[in-house]
Amino acid sequence: MRADSGELERAGGSEPPPAREERRLIREAQRGSAAALAALYSAHWRRAHRAAYLVLHDAAAAEDVAQDAFLAAVDALDRFDRRRPFGPWLHRIVVNRAIDWSRRESLRRRVVDEAGELEQRGGDGAPAGADLGTDLMAALAELPVEQRAIVVLRHLLEYTPGEIARMLEMPRGTVNSRLRRALDQLGSALEGER
Amino acid sequence: MNEQRLRELLGAVEVPDAAAAERRGRAVVEAAFAERLASGAPRRSGPARLPRLAVAVALATLVAALLLSPAGAAVRDWVGEVFDGGGETGLREIPGGGRLLVQSEGGPWVVGPDGSRRLLGGYEETTWSPHGLFLAVVSGRTLTAVEPNGTPRWSLSAPGRVFGPRWSPSGLEIAYRSGSSLRVTGADARGDHRIASRVAAVSPAWSPLSAPQLAYLGADGRLRIAASASGEVLAAAPALPALESIEWSASAAGYGLLLEVGAAALQVRQTVVGKLAGTTVLGPPRRLDLPGATELRDAALSPDGRTVAALVLVEGPRGARSVVRLIDSRDGSFRRLYSLAGDGLTELAWSPDGSRLLVADPRRDQWLFLRRGPYEGRSFDGIAAAFSPGRAPAGFPTVEGWCCRAPGG
Repeated sequence: MRADSGELERAGGSEPPPAREERRLIREAQRGSAAALAALYSAHWRRAHRAAYLVLHDAAAAEDVAQDAFLAAVDALDRFDRRRPFGPWLHRIVVNRAIDWSRRESLRRRVVDEAGELEQRGGDGAPAGADLGTDLMAALAELPVEQRAIVVLRHLLEYTPGEIARMLEMPRGTVNSRLRRALDQLGSALEGER
Repeated sequence: MNEQRLRELLGAVEVPDAAAAERRGRAVVEAAFAERLASGAPRRSGPARLPRLAVAVALATLVAALLLSPAGAAVRDWVGEVFDGGGETGLREIPGGGRLLVQSEGGPWVVGPDGSRRLLGGYEETTWSPHGLFLAVVSGRTLTAVEPNGTPRWSLSAPGRVFGPRWSPSGLEIAYRSGSSLRVTGADARGDHRIASRVAAVSPAWSPLSAPQLAYLGADGRLRIAASASGEVLAAAPALPALESIEWSASAAGYGLLLEVGAAALQVRQTVVGKLAGTTVLGPPRRLDLPGATELRDAALSPDGRTVAALVLVEGPRGARSVVRLIDSRDGSFRRLYSLAGDGLTELAWSPDGSRLLVADPRRDQWLFLRRGPYEGRSFDGIAAAFSPGRAPAGFPTVEGWCCRAPGG
């Protein structure tokens, strides 16, 4: 699907549109405009998908999570307060679903491992199918999933600790301390990058 | 490492298959949006409520935008059926060619490449011979070989009720279960003999390699490889719990790949014909993960043994979704080939050349033919009625096999 006007084309790509333009797109989508929804999708998919991938380290699962988040957005479109930005709303869904997915998967693998039915795979805490092709991915995989999510929210999606705290429903101090620990661990793992 | 550098690294990580994932997600989201509009979901109105005509125009615009865009060009057929549930009316051809063997309430049907159909008779089960020249059909305790036009060639009476016939790749033998035993007969009805006395209710699978061997599930839950002539067990191992089916394909590397399909899990093993004639080595099992899946509906091994197609249910924000995944049998990585809201999809089957998948959608009364590579496919509806001529369909037919492109091929 391509947006059907030059104006909407400018909103495409991986960067969110300006706030005013985004409010217009949401308003149009709420009224049934497929082109507006297409523009919102184009503007937000890549960051949402990347965020899910960085939390999950599993391309297929990240695709599922990002897709489900957009489906949730479509479902809740009528209830969405268009004075608020779309991105944080979507990212909150993406990251929380990614955390839930990772926890479920981790639990499932533990159960299966205990039953002695699964070959050992991947690194500690990294979901099956992980692509640990880069040092950063390998270092991220060593972090607990909540810390990965906080790093992604802070340093990929650029939310403040206060915003992250609201998204993940945890105290701001906890966000700060987990972020500090995560950065220390990443720094150690990527020593050459110091 | 400073925070700016971390930001750069996070932004530079390559997400595998990102462009295709974006296209797939786009099609699914668009379809959901169109479904929502079509279902009359409340829309927040502007200064004036949009009339129905505007909704129709919006849908038409969406469809047009889809079909005209480069991505849309690749998915036009696929998106069409997702949009309105309507496929092409009547099965007029089999995309990709070949012939289907379809089991309906009234018996098995052979479907030609042009969609023509022939009912073979009131048989309960059926299977193709390796080149599609004959079929083995079952009625009670009788196993019969018939030509594709329904002409019987021979019949034999088994000691007990016959189930799950499977014709060997050489064309020389047919294996079947009779009561609780596993038996093999020559393809000319001679030399019928018992291979094993206590087997589970799972159809056997023939070795795709040169050796005349069978894989079957014993009543004790062990997977066994046996010589078809003597019944001698050549290899055995604990099977996947709750095993429902076994498939065995040859790989390009010269070994076999055995797929075990359980109620909720998939497992593969390599099989190698040993240097000593008549021996086979059964490799260690390797589980294929189904992350996020709440139910495994069906699975099938591609003819080249490289890919397992799995039909799973995934719980999403709008309820269950039926998802077809293609899983690499070597490393377990997978990608989503198709996804549809609801739990309506029930089974899948590979085309003979492995380029397409047939997916059954009884709820929409459709068969979907999905291409394995490009993101596209076609759908045909009116399937139940096509296999229940002259009466109300009693159920949705099941696909028993998709055979070679032409008789003798």
